[in-house]
Amino acid sequence: MNLLRRWKVSLLLFFAVLGPGFITANVDNDAGGILTYSQAGAQFGYTLLWTMIPITLALIVVQEMCARMGVVTGKGLSDLIREEFGLRITFITMLLLVIVNFGNVVAEFSGIAGSLQLFHVSKYISVPVCALLVWLLVVKGDYKSTEKIFLIASVVYISYILAGVLSGPSWHEALISTVKMPPKSVWKERTYVYLVIGVIGTTITPWMQFYLQSSIVEKGISVKDYAACRLDVIVGSLFTDIVAWFIVVACAATLYAHGLGAIDVPSDAAEAMKPLAGPYAFLLFAFGLFNASLFAASILPLSTAYTVCEGLGLESGVDKSFDEAPVFYWLYTLLIAGGAAVVLVPNFPMVKFVILSQVLNGILLPVVIILMLILINRKDLMGEHVNSRWFNAVAWLTAIIVIGLSVAMLFTTAGT
Amino acid sequence: MTETPSNPSSLTALLGTPVTDAGGRMRGRLKDVAVATGADAGQVAGLILKTADGARLAEVRNILQTPSGALEIRDVSGLRSLKGDENFLLLQQDIVDRQIVDVHGRKVVRANDVNLQWFSHDAIQSLRVTGVEVGLSGAMRRIFKGLLPRPSLESFSANFATRVIPWELVDVIEVDPARRVKLKIEHANIAQMHPSDIADILADLAPAERAAVFTTLDEELAAEALEEVDPKLQKSLIESLDSGHVADIVEEMDPGAAADLLGELPDARSEAILKEMEPEERQEVSELLEFPENSAAGRMTTDYVAVHADESVSGAVKALKAFDGDPESVTEVYLVDEKDVLKGVVPLARLVMAQPETRLAVLTDPRFISCPADEKQDDVAELFDKYNLRALPVVDSAQRLVGIIQADHVIAFLRQGR
Repeated sequence: MNLLRRWKVSLLLFFAVLGPGFITANVDNDAGGILTYSQAGAQFGYTLLWTMIPITLALIVVQEMCARMGVVTGKGLSDLIREEFGLRITFITMLLLVIVNFGNVVAEFSGIAGSLQLFHVSKYISVPVCALLVWLLVVKGDYKSTEKIFLIASVVYISYILAGVLSGPSWHEALISTVKMPPKSVWKERTYVYLVIGVIGTTITPWMQFYLQSSIVEKGISVKDYAACRLDVIVGSLFTDIVAWFIVVACAATLYAHGLGAIDVPSDAAEAMKPLAGPYAFLLFAFGLFNASLFAASILPLSTAYTVCEGLGLESGVDKSFDEAPVFYWLYTLLIAGGAAVVLVPNFPMVKFVILSQVLNGILLPVVIILMLILINRKDLMGEHVNSRWFNAVAWLTAIIVIGLSVAMLFTTAGT
Repeated sequence: MTETPSNPSSLTALLGTPVTDAGGRMRGRLKDVAVATGADAGQVAGLILKTADGARLAEVRNILQTPSGALEIRDVSGLRSLKGDENFLLLQQDIVDRQIVDVHGRKVVRANDVNLQWFSHDAIQSLRVTGVEVGLSGAMRRIFKGLLPRPSLESFSANFATRVIPWELVDVIEVDPARRVKLKIEHANIAQMHPSDIADILADLAPAERAAVFTTLDEELAAEALEEVDPKLQKSLIESLDSGHVADIVEEMDPGAAADLLGELPDARSEAILKEMEPEERQEVSELLEFPENSAAGRMTTDYVAVHADESVSGAVKALKAFDGDPESVTEVYLVDEKDVLKGVVPLARLVMAQPETRLAVLTDPRFISCPADEKQDDVAELFDKYNLRALPVVDSAQRLVGIIQADHVIAFLRQGR
């Protein structure tokens, strides 16, 4: 009894420190993330690991900017875009966000289908059931307490670190590849460029910025408490990317090292690990993928509906009825129903589509970063909290590099 | 002077319109519309033109709308340059895309467009704001402006729902206090609303706008609204105010609610506020602050009507008249002896039906319910449910009456706990 109470107290303390930054970071390692990192490792071994450090730096900078804007202005990102850039730019941004996020929702349901296939549940059962569950959760249930359950369940992310260790990688080679640029020849390969954009797009997703900033506004964090909030963002970003690193390593050490190459269905990644890394690595991978997919599937459509309705000034909120906030509920419902329906198409190429969705994230990312950069450098909005020169440099560089990569990808496509 | 309404228009349709002089020479384009506030609210004071020499203001009577929809300046020498301290609202800058309060619908909305109406008095024209468009139709008009030719834009946007808030029911929010005073933005409309609706509006606004509205409320209304918002918001609302101002508001609050609010604040801040309060209110609130929040005493208020148990009905009525709390909150009168020991409870309805000379002790229910100060709040809720109570007296260990809990307090903490 006493032990249980003490355990409860320390768990509460743990969650008191964790905030929106950590939750956002956890949702970030969703089906799209896991499968893109897996593919990166499976197809290119350790040669994509060098991206992790710069991406982490960019992730911290971009997330910190969002958090700071939320704290200082008390407004969500879509509200700020609306007030400062007008309706037309808001509308275009929201339209792109809906399209890209729809791809992400499809990715989450692919993750659900793929992970449950490993336990021999057909996607024709798992996907509709989970879609209904997610929909009911928000419309009829209590979202806040469910969020806590998912957050506790996301302890399973540690399972990826374990899976990485169990896969017996060459630590030396992995660490060297993390700090050393790959040979120039890799850039000639279109799939390599494609996957680099995918990895950036899945780590620094556009929707995360909207989600993080609204969570911070909703929590009502004041400028006084900003230091703690920044720490939360940094810890969250580091955690995300450490998990990502281990996923790449796990797949590089098994799938790539044994010459199995690219994965076609989500279960490939986990199934392939079974003989190579033991039955537990397989179980951990599968359960982790399921939890991550379901968690993100319940947050993404909701966050999208909120963001869009707030930006366009339409009624939103789960405390409103269907009649009061029709656009909000329809958008939410269609994202889930549509996303689930796409996955149910027979022979739907899940992994290919998932990675495409993350590449689309990457293409939209610079648009969002540039809007954020313009906002955060406005003295009248941010006062003394405008961006420092270094933050501007990192954020601009991120936007420019991603734009460059997207252009490069188009050219290599044209070339082949 | 006769005033006949001519064609309606919208800000989106007007913006960018070329403006020529009488000779047909292009002088600039319409950039914004300046609207008067205060007594002339809604009357367009002038049009802001973007000219080759910078922004210029043209008075409306100096402008002629030609049948083709273009604008013509009658007298070019009437153009003034802008000093930046003019006393009017700018529709594009201050209204469009901003949060405004729909007083009739009692909610915060975002403006998509502003509707205007031309009037002609003989040869002279005037322009007035009729309302703010918050529906999809206004949104579509703005998104597709310039992409579709004007007639098809109008017919296209007409396919979508319009929702117009009449100008007199719109409250514009200005976060800059100096400009707020100059523009005479007093939120008189909001002040007419129910405190609970004001609380909802405050919750929907961003922090700066929220503070702008809250500081314009008078102390009594601010107190009532503050009682209705949730604790997190309470804290952020009073954060920017100085302790003296907060003390004035807290004095107007129900002592139970005031104690809850001060209990949420850091000790130094709540001490500072208490110090600024009148001695009587301070004492009441600081006594309540001593109790743990989740107990009966933590939830009670000290605003109640108590009379000596030997009094008659007329004595109770006299006490009611002298009561300085919110009279609508009273549902029963409490009977006490010299030592404040609770002796009985008389519901208001029984007082009304009794003769003035009837002794109160006769009217009290012999099985009246009370609860000790340290009772847990969940058990308090259970008592309300079991005995169908409207209010519950709270007593200390010597059975002395120290406060009461009302049904609305119970509903509030039950909902909070969910």
